[in-house]
Amino acid sequence: MRSLGSVLLALVMLFLLGPFVVIVIAGLSSGETLAFPPPGLSLRWVAKVFEVESFRAAFGVSMLLGVGATLVALVLGVPAAYALDRYKVPGGEAVRSIVTAPIIVPGIIVGLALLRFLLVPLGLPVMLGLFLGHTALLIPYAVRIVSASLNNLRVDIEEAAILLGASRAGAFFRIVLPNIRSGIVAAFILGFVTSFNQVPVSLFLSGPGVTTLPIEMLSYMEFNYDPSVAALSALLALLSLAVVVVAERLLGLSRYV
Amino acid sequence: MFEKRSIGLALVLPAALFVALGFLLPVGLLLAESFRTPAGWSLAYFTTFFADPLNQAVFLRTLRLGLTVTAVCLVVGYAAALAITGLGPAARGRFVGVLILPLMISPVARTYAWVVILGRTGLLNVLVLKLGLSDEPLRILFTETAVFLGLVQLFFPLAVLPLLSALENLPADVVPAARVLGASWLRVFWQIILPLTREGLVVGGTLVFVGSLTAYITPAMLGGSKVLMLETLLYQRVSVANDFVSAGVISVILIVMSIATNVLLRRLAAGRRAGGAHA
Repeated sequence: MRSLGSVLLALVMLFLLGPFVVIVIAGLSSGETLAFPPPGLSLRWVAKVFEVESFRAAFGVSMLLGVGATLVALVLGVPAAYALDRYKVPGGEAVRSIVTAPIIVPGIIVGLALLRFLLVPLGLPVMLGLFLGHTALLIPYAVRIVSASLNNLRVDIEEAAILLGASRAGAFFRIVLPNIRSGIVAAFILGFVTSFNQVPVSLFLSGPGVTTLPIEMLSYMEFNYDPSVAALSALLALLSLAVVVVAERLLGLSRYV
Repeated sequence: MFEKRSIGLALVLPAALFVALGFLLPVGLLLAESFRTPAGWSLAYFTTFFADPLNQAVFLRTLRLGLTVTAVCLVVGYAAALAITGLGPAARGRFVGVLILPLMISPVARTYAWVVILGRTGLLNVLVLKLGLSDEPLRILFTETAVFLGLVQLFFPLAVLPLLSALENLPADVVPAARVLGASWLRVFWQIILPLTREGLVVGGTLVFVGSLTAYITPAMLGGSKVLMLETLLYQRVSVANDFVSAGVISVILIVMSIATNVLLRRLAAGRRAGGAHA
Protein backbone atom coordinates (compact mmCIF):
# COMPACT_ATOMS: atom_id res chain seq x y z
CA MET A 1 0.00 0.00 0.00
CA ARG A 2 2.67 2.47 1.09
CA SER A 3 4.95 1.88 -1.90
CA LEU A 4 1.95 2.08 -4.24
CA GLY A 5 1.18 5.49 -2.74
CA SER A 6 4.78 6.65 -3.23
CA VAL A 7 4.73 5.60 -6.88
CA LEU A 8 1.44 7.46 -7.40
CA LEU A 9 2.76 10.62 -5.74
CA ALA A 10 5.96 10.47 -7.81
CA LEU A 11 3.86 10.25 -10.99
CA VAL A 12 1.64 13.12 -9.84
CA MET A 13 4.74 15.25 -9.14
CA LEU A 14 6.12 14.40 -12.58
CA PHE A 15 2.80 15.31 -14.25
CA LEU A 16 2.45 18.60 -12.35
CA LEU A 17 6.06 19.80 -12.35
CA GLY A 18 7.60 18.01 -15.38
CA PRO A 19 6.08 20.45 -17.90
CA PHE A 20 7.79 23.36 -16.10
CA VAL A 21 11.19 21.70 -16.46
CA VAL A 22 10.42 21.15 -20.15
CA ILE A 23 9.42 24.79 -20.70
CA VAL A 24 12.53 26.14 -18.95
CA ILE A 25 14.81 23.96 -21.11
CA ALA A 26 12.86 24.83 -24.28
CA GLY A 27 13.21 28.52 -23.45
CA LEU A 28 16.99 28.15 -23.16
CA SER A 29 17.20 26.74 -26.69
CA SER A 30 19.79 27.96 -29.18
CA GLY A 31 17.69 26.82 -32.16
CA GLU A 32 15.55 28.86 -34.54
CA THR A 33 12.27 27.03 -33.92
CA LEU A 34 10.59 25.43 -30.97
CA ALA A 35 11.90 21.88 -30.51
CA PHE A 36 12.53 19.53 -27.65
CA PRO A 37 15.19 18.56 -26.81
CA PRO A 38 16.79 21.79 -28.13
CA PRO A 39 19.86 21.55 -30.39
CA GLY A 40 21.91 23.50 -27.82
CA LEU A 41 21.53 25.87 -24.91
CA SER A 42 21.76 29.66 -25.02
CA LEU A 43 20.19 32.78 -23.57
CA ARG A 44 19.33 34.31 -26.95
CA TRP A 45 15.55 33.84 -26.66
CA VAL A 46 15.53 35.06 -23.08
CA ALA A 47 17.28 38.21 -24.35
CA LYS A 48 14.83 38.43 -27.27
CA VAL A 49 11.89 38.54 -24.85
CA PHE A 50 13.16 41.84 -23.46
CA GLU A 51 13.64 43.25 -26.96
CA VAL A 52 10.20 42.52 -28.38
CA GLU A 53 8.44 45.87 -28.15
CA SER A 54 4.92 44.37 -27.90
CA PHE A 55 5.96 42.18 -24.93
CA ARG A 56 7.43 45.18 -23.12
CA ALA A 57 4.34 47.31 -23.68
CA ALA A 58 2.01 44.47 -22.65
CA PHE A 59 4.08 43.81 -19.52
CA GLY A 60 3.65 47.48 -18.58
CA VAL A 61 -0.13 47.29 -19.11
CA SER A 62 -0.38 44.10 -17.04
CA MET A 63 1.66 45.53 -14.15
CA LEU A 64 -0.33 48.78 -14.09
CA LEU A 65 -3.60 46.89 -14.33
CA GLY A 66 -2.65 44.34 -11.67
CA VAL A 67 -1.60 46.97 -9.12
CA GLY A 68 -4.38 49.47 -9.94
CA ALA A 69 -7.29 47.00 -10.08
CA THR A 70 -6.15 45.20 -6.92
CA LEU A 71 -5.75 48.44 -4.95
CA VAL A 72 -9.20 49.72 -5.98
CA ALA A 73 -10.76 46.30 -5.29
CA LEU A 74 -9.25 46.45 -1.77
CA VAL A 75 -10.32 50.06 -1.16
CA LEU A 76 -13.88 49.03 -2.08
CA GLY A 77 -13.73 45.51 -0.65
CA VAL A 78 -12.22 46.08 2.82
CA PRO A 79 -14.96 48.48 4.04
CA ALA A 80 -17.62 46.23 2.47
CA ALA A 81 -16.26 43.13 4.22
CA TYR A 82 -16.01 45.08 7.49
CA ALA A 83 -19.57 46.39 7.24
CA LEU A 84 -21.00 42.97 6.34
CA ASP A 85 -19.18 41.44 9.31
CA ARG A 86 -19.71 44.05 12.02
CA TYR A 87 -22.80 46.08 11.12
CA LYS A 88 -26.42 45.18 10.52
CA VAL A 89 -26.61 46.09 6.85
CA PRO A 90 -30.16 46.17 5.45
CA GLY A 91 -30.50 43.18 3.12
CA GLY A 92 -27.03 42.01 4.18
CA GLU A 93 -27.17 38.60 2.52
CA ALA A 94 -28.41 40.06 -0.78
CA VAL A 95 -25.64 42.67 -0.69
CA ARG A 96 -23.06 39.96 -0.01
CA SER A 97 -24.34 38.00 -3.03
CA ILE A 98 -24.05 41.12 -5.18
CA VAL A 99 -20.44 41.90 -4.27
CA THR A 100 -19.34 38.27 -4.65
CA ALA A 101 -21.32 37.66 -7.88
CA PRO A 102 -18.46 38.30 -10.35
CA ILE A 103 -16.73 35.12 -9.22
CA ILE A 104 -19.41 32.82 -10.70
CA VAL A 105 -19.70 34.47 -14.11
CA PRO A 106 -17.21 33.17 -16.70
CA GLY A 107 -14.67 35.89 -17.49
CA ILE A 108 -15.22 35.89 -21.25
CA ILE A 109 -18.86 36.87 -20.70
CA VAL A 110 -17.82 39.74 -18.42
CA GLY A 111 -15.49 41.02 -21.12
CA LEU A 112 -18.11 40.73 -23.88
CA ALA A 113 -20.83 42.36 -21.77
CA LEU A 114 -18.60 45.30 -20.75
CA LEU A 115 -17.48 45.80 -24.34
CA ARG A 116 -20.97 45.85 -25.80
CA PHE A 117 -23.01 47.60 -23.11
CA LEU A 118 -20.54 49.92 -21.42
CA LEU A 119 -17.45 50.68 -23.50
CA VAL A 120 -18.93 51.00 -26.97
CA PRO A 121 -22.11 52.92 -26.01
CA LEU A 122 -20.23 55.31 -23.71
CA GLY A 123 -17.10 55.48 -25.87
CA LEU A 124 -14.79 54.61 -22.95
CA PRO A 125 -11.05 54.07 -23.53
CA VAL A 126 -9.65 50.51 -23.74
CA MET A 127 -7.57 50.80 -20.56
CA LEU A 128 -10.62 51.86 -18.53
CA GLY A 129 -12.53 48.82 -19.80
CA LEU A 130 -9.74 46.46 -18.74
CA PHE A 131 -9.57 48.22 -15.38
CA LEU A 132 -13.36 47.91 -14.78
CA GLY A 133 -13.41 44.23 -15.75
CA HIS A 134 -10.40 43.30 -13.62
CA THR A 135 -11.61 45.30 -10.60
CA ALA A 136 -15.08 43.69 -10.72
CA LEU A 137 -13.40 40.28 -10.87
CA LEU A 138 -11.14 41.02 -7.87
CA ILE A 139 -13.73 42.51 -5.48
CA PRO A 140 -15.11 39.06 -4.48
CA TYR A 141 -11.59 37.82 -3.67
CA ALA A 142 -10.89 40.92 -1.56
CA VAL A 143 -14.20 40.62 0.32
CA ARG A 144 -13.76 36.90 0.93
CA ILE A 145 -10.18 36.99 2.22
CA VAL A 146 -10.72 40.07 4.38
CA SER A 147 -13.95 38.55 5.79
CA ALA A 148 -11.99 35.45 6.77
CA SER A 149 -9.41 37.62 8.60
CA LEU A 150 -12.16 39.61 10.35
CA ASN A 151 -13.81 36.39 11.51
CA ASN A 152 -10.61 35.48 13.30
CA LEU A 153 -10.44 38.84 15.04
CA ARG A 154 -12.44 39.11 18.28
CA VAL A 155 -14.99 41.91 18.40
CA ASP A 156 -14.28 42.57 22.11
CA ILE A 157 -10.95 44.31 21.60
CA GLU A 158 -12.60 46.73 19.22
CA GLU A 159 -15.48 47.32 21.65
CA ALA A 160 -12.98 47.78 24.47
CA ALA A 161 -11.19 50.48 22.46
CA ILE A 162 -14.50 52.28 21.86
CA LEU A 163 -15.47 52.01 25.56
CA LEU A 164 -12.09 53.50 26.44
CA GLY A 165 -12.87 56.52 24.29
CA ALA A 166 -11.71 55.71 20.76
CA SER A 167 -13.95 56.81 17.93
CA ARG A 168 -15.40 54.19 15.56
CA ALA A 169 -12.98 55.29 12.86
CA GLY A 170 -10.09 55.43 15.32
CA ALA A 171 -10.83 51.88 16.50
CA PHE A 172 -10.94 50.68 12.90
CA PHE A 173 -7.69 52.30 11.83
CA ARG A 174 -5.70 51.66 15.03
CA ILE A 175 -7.07 48.30 16.19
CA VAL A 176 -8.78 46.44 13.34
CA LEU A 177 -6.59 47.37 10.37
CA PRO A 178 -3.23 46.45 11.97
CA ASN A 179 -4.69 43.11 13.07
CA ILE A 180 -5.96 42.10 9.62
CA ARG A 181 -2.85 43.41 7.87
CA SER A 182 -1.57 39.99 6.79
CA GLY A 183 -4.99 39.13 5.34
CA ILE A 184 -4.94 42.34 3.32
CA VAL A 185 -1.42 41.68 2.07
CA ALA A 186 -2.42 38.12 1.10
CA ALA A 187 -5.49 39.51 -0.70
CA PHE A 188 -3.24 41.96 -2.54
CA ILE A 189 -0.81 39.26 -3.67
CA LEU A 190 -3.56 36.86 -4.76
CA GLY A 191 -5.47 39.67 -6.45
CA PHE A 192 -2.41 40.87 -8.34
CA VAL A 193 -1.53 37.34 -9.48
CA THR A 194 -5.16 36.72 -10.55
CA SER A 195 -5.21 39.94 -12.58
CA PHE A 196 -1.74 39.44 -14.05
CA ASN A 197 -2.57 35.90 -15.24
CA GLN A 198 -6.13 36.72 -16.33
CA VAL A 199 -7.06 35.88 -19.93
CA PRO A 200 -10.84 35.49 -20.50
CA VAL A 201 -11.87 38.90 -19.07
CA SER A 202 -9.19 40.68 -21.13
CA LEU A 203 -9.94 38.87 -24.43
CA PHE A 204 -12.62 41.26 -25.66
CA LEU A 205 -11.41 44.25 -23.64
CA SER A 206 -7.90 44.43 -25.12
CA GLY A 207 -7.57 46.80 -28.04
CA PRO A 208 -4.92 47.79 -30.54
CA GLY A 209 -1.87 48.97 -28.62
CA VAL A 210 -3.38 48.22 -25.21
CA THR A 211 -2.98 44.50 -24.57
CA THR A 212 -2.17 42.50 -21.45
CA LEU A 213 0.86 40.21 -21.43
CA PRO A 214 -0.97 36.83 -21.59
CA ILE A 215 -3.16 38.07 -24.48
CA GLU A 216 -0.05 39.33 -26.29
CA MET A 217 1.57 35.91 -25.79
CA LEU A 218 -1.47 34.20 -27.29
CA SER A 219 -1.44 36.40 -30.38
CA TYR A 220 2.38 36.20 -30.76
CA MET A 221 2.32 32.39 -30.78
CA GLU A 222 -0.33 32.39 -33.49
CA PHE A 223 2.16 33.80 -35.99
CA ASN A 224 5.56 32.77 -34.56
CA TYR A 225 7.01 29.38 -33.81
CA ASP A 226 10.27 30.51 -32.21
CA PRO A 227 11.21 29.67 -28.60
CA SER A 228 10.64 33.19 -27.26
CA VAL A 229 7.18 32.39 -25.83
CA ALA A 230 8.76 29.38 -24.08
CA ALA A 231 11.47 31.67 -22.66
CA LEU A 232 8.85 34.18 -21.51
CA SER A 233 6.73 31.39 -19.99
CA ALA A 234 9.78 30.14 -18.09
CA LEU A 235 10.52 33.66 -16.82
CA LEU A 236 6.90 34.09 -15.64
CA ALA A 237 6.94 30.69 -13.92
CA LEU A 238 10.17 31.57 -12.08
CA LEU A 239 8.72 34.96 -11.10
CA SER A 240 5.61 33.25 -9.65
CA LEU A 241 7.83 30.77 -7.82
CA ALA A 242 9.73 33.66 -6.21
CA VAL A 243 6.47 35.42 -5.21
CA VAL A 244 5.01 32.22 -3.73
CA VAL A 245 8.16 31.38 -1.74
CA VAL A 246 8.52 34.91 -0.34
CA ALA A 247 4.80 35.21 0.46
CA GLU A 248 4.73 31.78 2.10
CA ARG A 249 7.72 32.69 4.31
CA LEU A 250 6.22 36.06 5.26
CA LEU A 251 2.59 35.17 5.86
CA GLY A 252 1.78 31.57 5.09
CA LEU A 253 -0.05 32.37 1.86
CA SER A 254 -1.33 28.79 1.53
CA ARG A 255 -3.92 29.49 4.25
CA TYR A 256 -5.68 31.93 1.97
CA VAL A 257 -5.74 30.04 -1.34
CA MET B 1 -22.13 43.87 16.25
CA PHE B 2 -22.87 47.55 15.84
CA GLU B 3 -26.40 48.80 15.39
CA LYS B 4 -25.89 51.84 13.17
CA ARG B 5 -27.42 50.74 9.88
CA SER B 6 -26.54 53.94 8.06
CA ILE B 7 -22.79 53.54 8.66
CA GLY B 8 -22.88 49.91 7.57
CA LEU B 9 -24.77 50.81 4.43
CA ALA B 10 -22.37 53.66 3.63
CA LEU B 11 -19.39 51.30 3.93
CA VAL B 12 -20.83 48.59 1.70
CA LEU B 13 -22.48 50.85 -0.87
CA PRO B 14 -19.40 51.79 -2.98
CA ALA B 15 -18.49 48.14 -3.63
CA ALA B 16 -22.12 47.14 -4.24
CA LEU B 17 -22.69 50.03 -6.66
CA PHE B 18 -19.46 49.31 -8.52
CA VAL B 19 -20.41 45.66 -9.02
CA ALA B 20 -24.06 46.44 -9.81
CA LEU B 21 -23.35 49.11 -12.44
CA GLY B 22 -20.00 47.93 -13.78
CA PHE B 23 -20.80 44.23 -13.83
CA LEU B 24 -24.36 43.05 -13.13
CA LEU B 25 -26.03 45.58 -15.43
CA PRO B 26 -23.95 44.86 -18.58
CA VAL B 27 -24.01 41.09 -17.97
CA GLY B 28 -27.78 41.22 -17.40
CA LEU B 29 -28.30 43.17 -20.62
CA LEU B 30 -26.17 40.66 -22.53
CA LEU B 31 -28.18 37.73 -21.20
CA ALA B 32 -31.56 39.43 -21.73
CA GLU B 33 -30.68 40.18 -25.34
CA SER B 34 -30.58 36.45 -26.14
CA PHE B 35 -34.27 36.12 -25.35
CA ARG B 36 -35.40 39.25 -27.22
CA THR B 37 -36.00 38.47 -30.87
CA PRO B 38 -37.52 40.88 -33.39
CA ALA B 39 -40.78 38.95 -32.91
CA GLY B 40 -40.76 39.47 -29.13
CA TRP B 41 -39.46 37.42 -26.20
CA SER B 42 -38.75 33.85 -27.26
CA LEU B 43 -36.30 30.98 -27.26
CA ALA B 44 -35.91 31.19 -31.03
CA TYR B 45 -32.17 32.01 -30.88
CA PHE B 46 -31.58 28.89 -28.79
CA THR B 47 -33.44 26.56 -31.17
CA THR B 48 -31.53 28.03 -34.12
CA PHE B 49 -28.23 27.62 -32.24
CA PHE B 50 -28.85 23.99 -31.36
CA ALA B 51 -30.14 23.15 -34.85
CA ASP B 52 -26.59 23.62 -36.20
CA PRO B 53 -24.67 20.29 -36.05
CA LEU B 54 -21.38 22.14 -35.44
CA ASN B 55 -22.80 23.85 -32.37
CA GLN B 56 -24.26 20.54 -31.14
CA ALA B 57 -20.86 18.90 -31.51
CA VAL B 58 -19.13 21.69 -29.59
CA PHE B 59 -21.74 21.57 -26.82
CA LEU B 60 -21.44 17.79 -26.47
CA ARG B 61 -17.63 17.93 -26.61
CA THR B 62 -17.60 20.53 -23.83
CA LEU B 63 -19.84 18.32 -21.65
CA ARG B 64 -17.80 15.21 -22.47
CA LEU B 65 -14.48 16.87 -21.63
CA GLY B 66 -15.97 18.39 -18.47
CA LEU B 67 -17.20 15.00 -17.24
CA THR B 68 -14.09 12.98 -18.13
CA VAL B 69 -11.67 15.59 -16.75
CA THR B 70 -13.69 15.80 -13.51
CA ALA B 71 -13.87 11.99 -13.16
CA VAL B 72 -10.11 11.53 -13.69
CA CYS B 73 -9.19 14.44 -11.39
CA LEU B 74 -11.44 13.14 -8.59
CA VAL B 75 -10.40 9.47 -8.79
CA VAL B 76 -6.65 10.06 -9.15
CA GLY B 77 -6.87 13.08 -6.84
CA TYR B 78 -8.56 11.00 -4.16
CA ALA B 79 -5.82 8.37 -4.30
CA ALA B 80 -3.16 11.11 -4.19
CA ALA B 81 -4.87 12.84 -1.25
CA LEU B 82 -4.99 9.52 0.64
CA ALA B 83 -1.29 8.97 -0.05
CA ILE B 84 -0.42 12.50 1.08
CA THR B 85 -2.34 12.17 4.39
CA GLY B 86 -0.19 9.08 5.11
CA LEU B 87 2.98 11.19 5.00
CA GLY B 88 4.74 13.03 7.81
CA PRO B 89 3.97 16.73 8.31
CA ALA B 90 7.12 17.99 6.53
CA ALA B 91 6.55 15.90 3.39
CA ARG B 92 2.85 16.81 3.45
CA GLY B 93 3.72 20.50 3.52
CA ARG B 94 6.02 20.05 0.52
CA PHE B 95 3.26 18.32 -1.46
CA VAL B 96 0.74 21.04 -0.64
CA GLY B 97 3.35 23.49 -1.96
CA VAL B 98 3.65 21.45 -5.18
CA LEU B 99 -0.14 21.61 -5.55
CA ILE B 100 -0.48 25.35 -4.85
CA LEU B 101 2.48 26.57 -6.90
CA PRO B 102 0.95 25.79 -10.34
CA LEU B 103 -2.19 27.73 -9.36
CA MET B 104 -0.09 30.88 -9.12
CA ILE B 105 1.65 30.42 -12.47
CA SER B 106 0.22 31.95 -15.63
CA PRO B 107 -2.09 29.38 -17.28
CA VAL B 108 -0.71 30.50 -20.66
CA ALA B 109 2.79 29.51 -19.51
CA ARG B 110 1.51 26.24 -18.04
CA THR B 111 -0.35 25.34 -21.20
CA TYR B 112 2.51 26.33 -23.51
CA ALA B 113 4.58 23.57 -21.89
CA TRP B 114 2.16 21.10 -23.49
CA VAL B 115 2.74 22.68 -26.91
CA VAL B 116 6.44 21.92 -26.39
CA ILE B 117 5.74 18.36 -25.24
CA LEU B 118 3.05 17.36 -27.73
CA GLY B 119 4.09 19.31 -30.85
CA ARG B 120 5.45 17.80 -34.08
CA THR B 121 9.06 18.29 -32.96
CA GLY B 122 8.20 17.95 -29.27
CA LEU B 123 9.44 15.66 -26.54
CA LEU B 124 6.79 12.98 -27.07
CA ASN B 125 7.32 12.68 -30.80
CA VAL B 126 11.12 12.56 -30.38
CA LEU B 127 10.65 9.63 -28.00
CA VAL B 128 8.11 7.89 -30.24
CA LEU B 129 10.39 8.17 -33.29
CA LYS B 130 13.55 7.15 -31.38
CA LEU B 131 11.86 4.10 -29.90
CA GLY B 132 10.50 3.17 -33.32
CA LEU B 133 6.88 3.16 -32.12
CA SER B 134 5.86 5.01 -35.25
CA ASP B 135 7.44 5.97 -38.57
CA GLU B 136 6.10 9.51 -38.60
CA PRO B 137 5.34 12.09 -35.89
CA LEU B 138 2.02 11.55 -34.11
CA ARG B 139 -0.60 14.26 -34.41
CA ILE B 140 -1.58 14.89 -30.77
CA LEU B 141 -1.51 18.66 -30.59
CA PHE B 142 -4.85 20.10 -31.75
CA THR B 143 -6.76 16.95 -30.80
CA GLU B 144 -9.22 16.34 -27.99
CA THR B 145 -6.56 14.26 -26.20
CA ALA B 146 -4.27 17.29 -25.95
CA VAL B 147 -7.10 19.43 -24.53
CA PHE B 148 -7.95 16.66 -22.07
CA LEU B 149 -4.33 16.41 -20.84
CA GLY B 150 -4.02 20.18 -20.50
CA LEU B 151 -7.27 20.47 -18.55
CA VAL B 152 -6.39 17.63 -16.18
CA GLN B 153 -3.03 19.21 -15.40
CA LEU B 154 -4.59 22.66 -14.98
CA PHE B 155 -7.37 21.55 -12.60
CA PHE B 156 -5.83 18.59 -10.75
CA PRO B 157 -4.75 20.75 -7.74
CA LEU B 158 -8.30 22.11 -7.42
CA ALA B 159 -9.56 18.54 -6.93
CA VAL B 160 -6.86 17.42 -4.50
CA LEU B 161 -6.79 20.42 -2.14
CA PRO B 162 -10.45 20.13 -0.92
CA LEU B 163 -10.10 16.33 -0.68
CA LEU B 164 -6.96 16.77 1.39
CA SER B 165 -8.65 19.09 3.85
CA ALA B 166 -11.70 16.76 4.02
CA LEU B 167 -9.43 13.80 4.84
CA GLU B 168 -7.52 15.80 7.43
CA ASN B 169 -10.78 16.78 9.12
CA LEU B 170 -11.85 13.14 9.60
CA PRO B 171 -12.37 12.47 13.32
CA ALA B 172 -9.10 10.91 14.46
CA ASP B 173 -10.51 7.73 16.02
CA VAL B 174 -13.22 6.49 13.61
CA VAL B 175 -10.89 4.56 11.31
CA PRO B 176 -8.92 2.78 14.07
CA ALA B 177 -12.24 2.06 15.86
CA ALA B 178 -13.73 0.42 12.77
CA ARG B 179 -10.52 -1.58 12.24
CA VAL B 180 -10.52 -2.79 15.84
CA LEU B 181 -14.12 -3.90 15.41
CA GLY B 182 -13.02 -6.04 12.48
CA ALA B 183 -13.95 -4.04 9.35
CA SER B 184 -11.74 -4.65 6.32
CA TRP B 185 -9.85 -1.72 4.74
CA LEU B 186 -12.20 -1.76 1.77
CA ARG B 187 -15.25 -1.60 4.01
CA VAL B 188 -13.70 1.19 6.11
CA PHE B 189 -13.11 3.13 2.91
CA TRP B 190 -16.58 2.64 1.40
CA GLN B 191 -18.63 2.98 4.57
CA ILE B 192 -16.64 5.49 6.63
CA ILE B 193 -13.98 7.49 4.80
CA LEU B 194 -15.85 8.06 1.54
CA PRO B 195 -19.17 9.26 3.08
CA LEU B 196 -17.35 11.53 5.55
CA THR B 197 -15.32 13.19 2.79
CA ARG B 198 -18.30 13.69 0.45
CA GLU B 199 -18.14 17.44 0.89
CA GLY B 200 -14.53 17.52 -0.32
CA LEU B 201 -15.59 15.54 -3.40
CA VAL B 202 -18.46 17.96 -4.09
CA VAL B 203 -16.31 21.08 -3.68
CA GLY B 204 -13.44 19.69 -5.79
CA GLY B 205 -15.82 18.24 -8.38
CA THR B 206 -17.66 21.53 -8.77
CA LEU B 207 -14.44 23.53 -9.19
CA VAL B 208 -13.05 21.13 -11.81
CA PHE B 209 -16.31 20.64 -13.74
CA VAL B 210 -17.24 24.32 -13.92
CA GLY B 211 -13.60 25.21 -14.64
CA SER B 212 -13.50 22.75 -17.56
CA LEU B 213 -16.86 23.87 -18.99
CA THR B 214 -15.70 27.49 -19.00
CA ALA B 215 -12.08 26.87 -20.03
CA TYR B 216 -10.69 29.16 -22.71
CA ILE B 217 -6.88 29.05 -22.68
CA THR B 218 -6.50 25.25 -22.88
CA PRO B 219 -8.83 24.63 -25.85
CA ALA B 220 -7.53 27.77 -27.58
CA MET B 221 -3.87 26.71 -27.35
CA LEU B 222 -4.11 22.90 -27.51
CA GLY B 223 -7.31 22.43 -29.52
CA GLY B 224 -7.30 25.33 -31.93
CA SER B 225 -10.16 25.74 -34.38
CA LYS B 226 -10.41 21.94 -34.85
CA VAL B 227 -11.33 21.14 -31.25
CA LEU B 228 -13.62 23.98 -30.22
CA MET B 229 -15.19 24.17 -26.78
CA LEU B 230 -18.03 26.57 -25.87
CA GLU B 231 -15.76 29.49 -24.90
CA THR B 232 -13.49 29.18 -27.92
CA LEU B 233 -16.59 28.92 -30.13
CA LEU B 234 -17.94 32.09 -28.50
CA TYR B 235 -14.70 33.95 -29.18
CA GLN B 236 -14.56 32.67 -32.75
CA ARG B 237 -18.18 33.63 -33.50
CA VAL B 238 -17.52 37.21 -32.37
CA SER B 239 -14.02 37.74 -33.78
CA VAL B 240 -14.53 35.98 -37.11
CA ALA B 241 -18.20 36.59 -37.89
CA ASN B 242 -19.36 39.42 -35.60
CA ASP B 243 -22.09 36.95 -34.61
CA PHE B 244 -23.30 38.44 -31.33
CA VAL B 245 -26.47 36.33 -31.33
CA SER B 246 -24.57 33.03 -31.00
CA ALA B 247 -22.22 34.66 -28.49
CA GLY B 248 -25.19 35.68 -26.34
CA VAL B 249 -26.72 32.20 -26.53
CA ILE B 250 -23.41 30.58 -25.52
CA SER B 251 -23.12 33.07 -22.64
CA VAL B 252 -26.54 32.04 -21.33
CA ILE B 253 -25.64 28.34 -21.68
CA LEU B 254 -22.35 28.80 -19.82
CA ILE B 255 -23.89 30.79 -16.96
CA VAL B 256 -26.85 28.43 -16.57
CA MET B 257 -24.56 25.39 -16.53
CA SER B 258 -22.15 27.00 -14.00
CA ILE B 259 -24.90 28.03 -11.60
CA ALA B 260 -26.86 24.79 -12.02
CA THR B 261 -23.75 22.73 -11.24
CA ASN B 262 -23.03 24.77 -8.12
CA VAL B 263 -26.62 24.54 -6.85
CA LEU B 264 -27.23 20.87 -7.75
CA LEU B 265 -24.00 19.56 -6.30
CA ARG B 266 -24.36 21.60 -3.11
CA ARG B 267 -27.91 20.28 -2.70
CA LEU B 268 -26.66 16.77 -3.38
CA ALA B 269 -24.07 17.07 -0.60
CA ALA B 270 -26.55 18.60 1.86
CA GLY B 271 -29.38 16.17 1.00
CA ARG B 272 -27.22 13.10 1.36
CA ARG B 273 -25.93 14.31 4.70
CA ALA B 274 -29.48 14.85 6.01
CA GLY B 275 -30.49 11.41 4.67
CA GLY B 276 -27.55 9.81 6.44
CA ALA B 277 -28.63 11.34 9.75
CA HIS B 278 -32.03 9.65 9.46
CA ALA B 279 -30.63 6.22 8.67
